Amino acid sequence: MITVTINGKKITLEKQVTVLEAARSAGIKIPTLCHHETLEAFGGCRLCLVEIEKIPKLQTSCTIYITDGMVVHSETERVVNARKAMLEFLLINHPLDCPYCDKAGECDLQDLAAKYGPTTGRFAEGKRTHPESYDDPVIVRNMERCISCTRCVRMCDKVQGASAISMVNRTSKTFVEPFSGKRYDCEYCGNCLSVCPVGAIMSRMYKHKYRPWYIDKNINTICSYCGVGCSVTAQVKGDSLVRVVPEMGKGLNKGLLCVRGRFGYDYVNSSARLKTPLIRRNGELQQVTWSEAFKYAADRLRDIKERYGSEAIAGIAGGRCANEDIYIFQKFIRGVLGSNNIDSIANFSYAPAQRFFERIFGQGVTANSIQGISNSDGIFVVGGDPTSINPILGLQIRAAYQQGIPVITVGDTPGLKRFATCMLKPNPFTETALLVSLLSELKVKKQFLGGNSSFERLINNISALSMKEVEDICGLPTDNIASAVNMLSNMTNPSIVIGKDILQRTDGHINLLLLSAIMYLINGRVYLLSEFPNEQGLVDMGCLPDMLPGGRPIEIESFKKRYEEIVGLNISSTHGLSLSGIIENAYTGKIKAIQIIGENVLSNIPDSNYVGKAFSNLELLIVQDSLMTETAGLAHVVLPSLSWLERKGSYTNLERRMQFMGKAVEGDGLEDWRIISEISKMLSFDMGYKGLEDILSEIARVSPLHKDITYNDISGDECIWPYKGEPLRHGVSLEGMDVPDIGSLLKKPAKDRVYAVFDKELFHPDSLSRKSAAISSISPEPCSRVNRALADRLSVSEGDYLNISTDAGSIEMAVKIDEDIPENVVMIPNNFEGKGIFNIMQWKLNPVLKCPVLDGNEVKLKKAEARS
Amino acid sequence: MKRALLRNIDNTNSADINEYIKISGYASLLKALEMKPSDVIDEVKTSGLRGRGGAGFPTATKWAFASMDPKFPKYLICNADEGEPGTFKDRPILEKNPHQLIEGMIISAYALSAEYGYIYLRGEYPNACNILNNAIKQAYGKGYLGDNISGKGVRFHLHVHQGAGAYICGEETALIDSLEGKRGQPRIKPPFPVNEGFLSRPTIVNNVETFANIPYIMEIGGEQYAKIGSPQCPGPKLFSVSGHVKTPGVYELPMGTTLREIIYTHCGGIKDDKKLKAVIPGGISTPILPADKIDCPMDFVSMPRYGSMLGSGAVMVFDESTDLVKVCLRAIKFFEHESCGKCTPCREGVGWMRAILKRICDYNGRETDIEHLLEVSENISGNTFCPLGDGAATVVQNFIKHFRGEFESKIKI
Amino acid sequence: MNKTDGLIRDIRAIKEKYQSKRAALLPALYLAQREFGWLSPEALEFVAEALDVPKASIKGTATFYAMFKNKPVGRHLIQLCTNVACMIMGAERLVDLLRDKYGIEPNGTSADGRFSLVIMECIGACDTAPAMLINEDFYDNLNKENIIDILENYK
Repeated sequence: MITVTINGKKITLEKQVTVLEAARSAGIKIPTLCHHETLEAFGGCRLCLVEIEKIPKLQTSCTIYITDGMVVHSETERVVNARKAMLEFLLINHPLDCPYCDKAGECDLQDLAAKYGPTTGRFAEGKRTHPESYDDPVIVRNMERCISCTRCVRMCDKVQGASAISMVNRTSKTFVEPFSGKRYDCEYCGNCLSVCPVGAIMSRMYKHKYRPWYIDKNINTICSYCGVGCSVTAQVKGDSLVRVVPEMGKGLNKGLLCVRGRFGYDYVNSSARLKTPLIRRNGELQQVTWSEAFKYAADRLRDIKERYGSEAIAGIAGGRCANEDIYIFQKFIRGVLGSNNIDSIANFSYAPAQRFFERIFGQGVTANSIQGISNSDGIFVVGGDPTSINPILGLQIRAAYQQGIPVITVGDTPGLKRFATCMLKPNPFTETALLVSLLSELKVKKQFLGGNSSFERLINNISALSMKEVEDICGLPTDNIASAVNMLSNMTNPSIVIGKDILQRTDGHINLLLLSAIMYLINGRVYLLSEFPNEQGLVDMGCLPDMLPGGRPIEIESFKKRYEEIVGLNISSTHGLSLSGIIENAYTGKIKAIQIIGENVLSNIPDSNYVGKAFSNLELLIVQDSLMTETAGLAHVVLPSLSWLERKGSYTNLERRMQFMGKAVEGDGLEDWRIISEISKMLSFDMGYKGLEDILSEIARVSPLHKDITYNDISGDECIWPYKGEPLRHGVSLEGMDVPDIGSLLKKPAKDRVYAVFDKELFHPDSLSRKSAAISSISPEPCSRVNRALADRLSVSEGDYLNISTDAGSIEMAVKIDEDIPENVVMIPNNFEGKGIFNIMQWKLNPVLKCPVLDGNEVKLKKAEARS
Repeated sequence: MKRALLRNIDNTNSADINEYIKISGYASLLKALEMKPSDVIDEVKTSGLRGRGGAGFPTATKWAFASMDPKFPKYLICNADEGEPGTFKDRPILEKNPHQLIEGMIISAYALSAEYGYIYLRGEYPNACNILNNAIKQAYGKGYLGDNISGKGVRFHLHVHQGAGAYICGEETALIDSLEGKRGQPRIKPPFPVNEGFLSRPTIVNNVETFANIPYIMEIGGEQYAKIGSPQCPGPKLFSVSGHVKTPGVYELPMGTTLREIIYTHCGGIKDDKKLKAVIPGGISTPILPADKIDCPMDFVSMPRYGSMLGSGAVMVFDESTDLVKVCLRAIKFFEHESCGKCTPCREGVGWMRAILKRICDYNGRETDIEHLLEVSENISGNTFCPLGDGAATVVQNFIKHFRGEFESKIKI
Repeated sequence: MNKTDGLIRDIRAIKEKYQSKRAALLPALYLAQREFGWLSPEALEFVAEALDVPKASIKGTATFYAMFKNKPVGRHLIQLCTNVACMIMGAERLVDLLRDKYGIEPNGTSADGRFSLVIMECIGACDTAPAMLINEDFYDNLNKENIIDILENYK
């Protein structure tokens, strides 16, 4: 125990903290500017100087640690005078343009100057001048206001790990700049502007539109982009949204955001927003009233059900719908329409991977805290770049690396390039051989004997590959693999971060088995990367063809019965079609009607052409969405749903944490659950919900997992797995798991061919961000990436256009040179309408997981004709 | 007194290893390698050697901290960034006697179990850089550097690292940041470099002259050494004398030689036999002394009693014709130019002092300016991150203290 | 391409001296400066690539040090000390002379691109003040006469 006295107050603390922390813990305020609780100490602004007995000079309380018996004074005349002097120094060059500055009202310097500052300035010479920079589409820099606290740079270097800005020059000519001096060339997380204590770095999105005193309401909600589920606050003036900002220290993101969360919220006000229901008449979508639309949809559904039976109807749910929406949706499709053909993109790899792991390790095995990643003693990343798919989770990996924790990556993870201890980049689509090799080496290292359980026997039976074979197939040096194995085997508490790419392979199911075997050997905690804020919700709410809410198999009579009793509807016990089955059956004409809520299937599934044809065959396509999408463009009925920020609800993130979304503004449209209830009413089943509470209380009864859950539980930070519910406890089931014939799987990619690889990039991972003007201004057009050797072979240089074609189609795309890509690969994103990799891929499924596969897409490349 | 640090300096070929060996160079190293490392540290402790960079910290104490730290590898860094205006005492060692520095570093590395060493040499000394690189090459050639020094299984690798024009890098933590390829800004202490320095490893930073003393201590023994010069800070000391003296240059004299002796006995008195007006005794950051205060013994302990400091031993002499307000302005311009920008008072305050001084020099000063200047300097003093800002404040305060009239006469015209 | 092959090789050799890539930054910047004439954005990007250090951080370092050229300079760089010892021995008059004779302002370049002038802080030649460096050549005991003779050797 350490006892210090600050301003006469005795404070006893267990840990040796800084004087500043000790003071703040006791409610004693010491002003600071360069200090920030998420950043390492700097000690530059000198605002926090205090007097400490027995030390002659004043000391910065942010850097000096308490010792037992220390006596500190923070409000003596000497200290206050020093504080005033520091402020006077800062105001030498800081402009007094508060009336014009957007920061006014929440500027730390302004507040301090008001409290301590001189009434008149004594500095007679001119201030430093530096024109405000509008070179960047979303960030404004005003370096006259910069007080060199370096918070932004420390944030960028140490927390974000982007190192995109730096202090330049020295003396009072010091300021902050990105490399170009103009536009940023970075991940655009904007965490720099979050920590700026003055108006030096600010967002352009609300430039001159925002004043803190304009704000009437602060609404807490959850970002709608990815499966992390960052906390943000929507600030509202009257009826309109002013801005969405994070709150430092708050939420699982602790106030950090990525580009999508920070700048992407403006899709809510996009011109693509749907405002009225539409019905296709004479081939064109025409505006109708809600009641017309409900009636039309209900009549058509009834008609199809009567003519073709329930099996001809299917539902597809989206990962951005709230739990309440998708619960109602599955109830409607199952109970009212009588079809178990209900699925979502989650079932392409997220859900099967989770289910696979749960069969071996038990339900909830993927429910791990994101913050826990940096507390593990090793990280194994495979199947995607966490820094672009789930950026805030990615930061945990960067942080871990910076603490000296080994990070091993498999595949293309450009965002971890400077944060990986060992990067394994096998030849395209040869990860299976690499995983086999890692597993067999680990068995040796871990002296694995196997045989205690059926899973161990299975692992035991997976045959090994010689290092030579692996080197040959993967093109990886043996040393590289050996050092990865060494690191893996030394980890005692590792995190395994798995992206979908590794599963969306022809051999994806084998990869899954190999990964689970590795996980078993190194005893790792698994994290499944997730593109959608409520992908886990889709699983937990039963938007699956074979699972009821709470992950209860539909074929088990007791679960089915419980469901029917509470819901008041009878359902079928046969498994429905999965998403790929729905699409294939639509293609062949067996499925006649599909209802989609919140999913742009056409754009988000390869091959887009195939899906388009399948949907065109339908007699009825109902699309509920807040935005006009490619999929909605094919619909017979389009029903505008309320967007994020316009409705309340809950999301379940990839940690299985349930979080509450608040409503900030009114919008055109209805909640998805209301739309469905209205259609249901027309089909003679009145769901009878008055509000969300009714729905949640039903979920709490239907799903044993969500037993007794209330919004009170969800509104806090800590609604984490397994809630108050009952996870399924069952033994390891290896039914259907066969030892793969490794030998037959090992294919070497042909050397002289070029393969297209899906580039899941940061700015536009799926179609939503395209509707954000801000993100589109950062990344206005798609870019393919090839390495220098391939570019030279094709005689293209950066900025030229490439013509990329397959049997399925061709696209043209600007090209960027990236030396980290193998010569036989072209990286292609899927981020613009009609111009993505999904437009040139063949419809091809994994035989077991039934998800579209991304491998083996051989392409022909040539330089595109000159463009203006 | 026989020269210990600048021996052989009159030999035009003194930087050559063979010439150095002729005057029993590297004999101290061979002697040290026969001793236990801890005995070498003890010998240095007995000698009473204090760091020659300016602060006068006991060398053996610093070494003891570093040798106690269990982390490896350890780094040994020579601070050859003498940037303090008026200071050029290390230059003759670097250019004329590089092997004594290298020998000193190897002995120190052996004592401290440091495997890697860097000479952080100021960028302004391109000549010295070539000479040092050549000398290091020669030392490798003779087996005094490398993986198995003199066949004793001792490992030490040494490289020259050129700075690029930043006075602040004379501060040891800024030097380490600079060596790491960063902006050379001082670090928060603790941790001290002896525990977490270069690349977060235990790092010992000593001045050129300090290292050059080591072979001499090994040669004559700590006890003998301790008898040279001032008892509390013994040893030979290099004084670089510039300004208005007849024979400016570097003088090796016992610690404690008075300023008067240096100026009048060794440097031949004031140029053109003018009257002495003032002396800055230890480099520009040390308080200026008026002509009647020059009977002070030049050592770390005595100088504060005379209102100044030994600093780097850079004596700058000003005759009666010198415009000291202009000197003060130039000195402050220097500090402004060299302020690293990290902390508020130094970054903003020093420029403010310059602005006031400039208008006084231009005869546009205001009556309140002297008080104003003092107030700004006091607001800087003691509140900065590192001593650079303090140095600037000291200059202003002491120039005004001793020569207020000169400032006033420029204002009251 | 060929121009930078040597530079890459030299930077690689420097990296060997340190246990951290970034520690090789200052020497690498010196080499790049020699090769590119000044630390142009290209030069900085080159070093960033060679050392695998973020380019913005490299810019931060490059702009911190007075001896790194962050803008193009003339054929010959005069680095003249005007600090106290040189000042009291007449360095300021030399600055005036350079202005009159060659039309160079401090931190500027002569119209013909022949000379650039940088005012240096102390270069450690106080006993033989005033002093200067031209490129890497050192000259001291300067006066109004000999400085012109010296400069005339640099065309």
